[in-house]
Amino acid sequence: MTTALANLTAFILLLTITAYSVAGGVDYGAGIWDLLAGRGPRAERARQLIDHAMAPVWEANNVWLVLAIVVCWTGFPLLFQSVFASLYPLFALALLALILRGAFFAFRHLQSGPQAQRRTGVVFGISSLLAPFFFAAALGAIASGRVALGEPNIPVWQACFNPTSISFGLVSLAATAFIGASFLVGDARRFGQPDMVDYFRRRAVIATAVLIVIGTIALAVTGLENPHLLNAMLTGLGTPFAAAAVIVTPLVGFLVWRRFFRWYRLLSVVVVGSLVFAWGFAQSPYLLPGQVTIAQSAAPLGSEVLLSIVTLAVVVLILPSLALLVYLDQRGELEAPQA
Amino acid sequence: MAFTLAYHVILVPLGVAFPAYTLLMEGIGIFKKDAAAIRIARRWSVVMAVQFAVGAVTGTILSFEFGILWPKLMGRFGAALGMGFAIEGLAFFLEAIFIGIYLYGWTRLRPRTHFLLGLALPPAGVLGTVSVLAANAFMNTPGGVTLGSSGKVVSVDLLGALFTRALAYEFWHFLIATYITAGFIVASIYAVAWLRGRRDHYQGLAFAIPFTVAALLTPVELAVGDLSARALVADQPAKFAAMEVTWKTRSHNPEVVGGLLTDSGQVNFGLSIPSFDSILIGLSPDTVAPGLTSVPATARPTIAEANITHLAFDVMVGLGSAGAALTVWYFAVLLYRRRLPQSRWFYRAASLAGVGSYVAVEAGWVTTEVGRQPWIVYNLMRVSDAVTNAPGTFVWSMLSVLVVVYAVIAVIAIALLRKLGARWHQEDATQGPSAPEEGVPYGPPSVRGVTRGSSR
Repeated sequence: MTTALANLTAFILLLTITAYSVAGGVDYGAGIWDLLAGRGPRAERARQLIDHAMAPVWEANNVWLVLAIVVCWTGFPLLFQSVFASLYPLFALALLALILRGAFFAFRHLQSGPQAQRRTGVVFGISSLLAPFFFAAALGAIASGRVALGEPNIPVWQACFNPTSISFGLVSLAATAFIGASFLVGDARRFGQPDMVDYFRRRAVIATAVLIVIGTIALAVTGLENPHLLNAMLTGLGTPFAAAAVIVTPLVGFLVWRRFFRWYRLLSVVVVGSLVFAWGFAQSPYLLPGQVTIAQSAAPLGSEVLLSIVTLAVVVLILPSLALLVYLDQRGELEAPQA
Repeated sequence: MAFTLAYHVILVPLGVAFPAYTLLMEGIGIFKKDAAAIRIARRWSVVMAVQFAVGAVTGTILSFEFGILWPKLMGRFGAALGMGFAIEGLAFFLEAIFIGIYLYGWTRLRPRTHFLLGLALPPAGVLGTVSVLAANAFMNTPGGVTLGSSGKVVSVDLLGALFTRALAYEFWHFLIATYITAGFIVASIYAVAWLRGRRDHYQGLAFAIPFTVAALLTPVELAVGDLSARALVADQPAKFAAMEVTWKTRSHNPEVVGGLLTDSGQVNFGLSIPSFDSILIGLSPDTVAPGLTSVPATARPTIAEANITHLAFDVMVGLGSAGAALTVWYFAVLLYRRRLPQSRWFYRAASLAGVGSYVAVEAGWVTTEVGRQPWIVYNLMRVSDAVTNAPGTFVWSMLSVLVVVYAVIAVIAIALLRKLGARWHQEDATQGPSAPEEGVPYGPPSVRGVTRGSSR
């Protein structure tokens, strides 16, 4: 019973991380394309579209991050302690990027004049780049087995920055740009701007190629450093997800390239989701590879039960209301606006 | 951590209670068919969106800080302490979605449906409050956990760890404080508008509704606060002794207002009311009040900490009493003259009530946190055992960066709200029609940005 609950909790943790990767990825990805847009009237149009597409989000993606954190410290207190004791620099940097990003997104709206807007936009763009990198690097650092149980047993900077963690960071950058471009294609279509559809379509194809190249290199680097992890990805629990990522990524690029505008957004979600799942399942049953398993570090029964109740509440309460919000977003305004 | 918490605490009253005022205003608008009330509610909802964005960012920072600064606290007590936060995560999620629905719904739902859906917001705020306070109450009066021989938590009683003794009084005390603070802060903005010469129906409504609710709650808060303080005598005697700067346990204990405790246990300066503390605790001068020396020196606040606790407590009680005085003034005019006050001095005082209640909330928070020193989890874990092993330079540089960043966020948020306020004011002057959301970086897209004009 306890083990089953602990496994369930670990799965919930993985799901929240995935949800943040997807929802945050779309958001950060838009920021990355804002940074890379360059200058000129077309770039300005692209920026306007990005801004417009991001407006309804208003930092709400952070709920996934906060959920992941609370599930981690309630469900696996020891994991939480160990990860933060070893990787606090990565989290501090990610956090800083996250704040700057939010602040400068709002700040840009206060600026008048394109010059000033561009300057604030650069900070916004760079922090959109750094936040996903550092968050994913933390996952890579865990995967590399360098996070010790309790207090760190190697210098903290080595735990934070190593080939595996940097590979994870780079893959997340490519994946973020990829899913961001894919959703921006959708937004451009929704807003009826054919030139912007083409603009982001090209970028989505380029991002697909970059993701494939970086993903391959990262897989090789990770494999050289941690043969166990690679094994589990190729011939273990992680295999179906790794395979899904390998197959679906080029498919998305192909669909968008051929202007076959169906399924491409859902499939890019599948890509990002399978990347996270491939890591999570390849690592199971270990939370910290080679050191502590899910069952070993699980919190006492009471806490696990509470987390299951909270999860159930999320499913029962949140999903319907989220559906309502999406419905309202898609639905036009009523005829007679009040007030 | 203290700093960021203090900052986040500023946002909490607005986050928890502001939606309730907005809904109240909308309800008045719908049922009395008052267009001004609807306009106020809709503008307030935009402020809600901005404050939610700031709150989401600072709340995320907070949750990370638990890991960055207090990894050992969470490692040992996360299973119990974290439960409250897990529920708060759920509440936060609900708020995020329903604020979205509320903002979108202005133009996309029928008024009644919109209002009814908005009613989900106040309970979500209350749920968040109760769960975060459950975590704080656990730190004050831990319970529901069984510790192994090594001090490790071996079992958690779900309900016992969530509903510890302090929760009952902390919850009511804080929840009412959020409603008072939000009410006064909103009213104070319109009090300033009154002082600047705006005296129309819009201003009167936007001032009177939040002010009346906050004023009604102020005496209730004093009573609840009194109950909380008395509960501390049994639950956390050292904190209570620090609040009252009582050195030795004694009967006929005086109530000291102001004043500083010295190393030798003397209280200098300060106004002393003989036996009043004992009377407050047990309604009799013979009641024994706990002293700091009843607790070993290593397990109680230091002299400096006791003084901070005491002064913060006095500030909170003083401001609470000032609020009560203002309440009496308000209702006296309301009942005898049957109209809102017309005195400039009243509105000057009212315009300070918002800031005053913020200071009171901060002071209350300082009282409970500093008064618990040296413990992070009362009698179970010391602050020094919970803090990170990361080098001091890291912690301090992180802190200084955060101070700067928070200042930037504050400036941006205030500038954004001022810009909105100026535009709304102008629109009222020119009677121009408007969608108040325009120009806000958060909100439904169709009323702003690219498709502006085409959709309306």
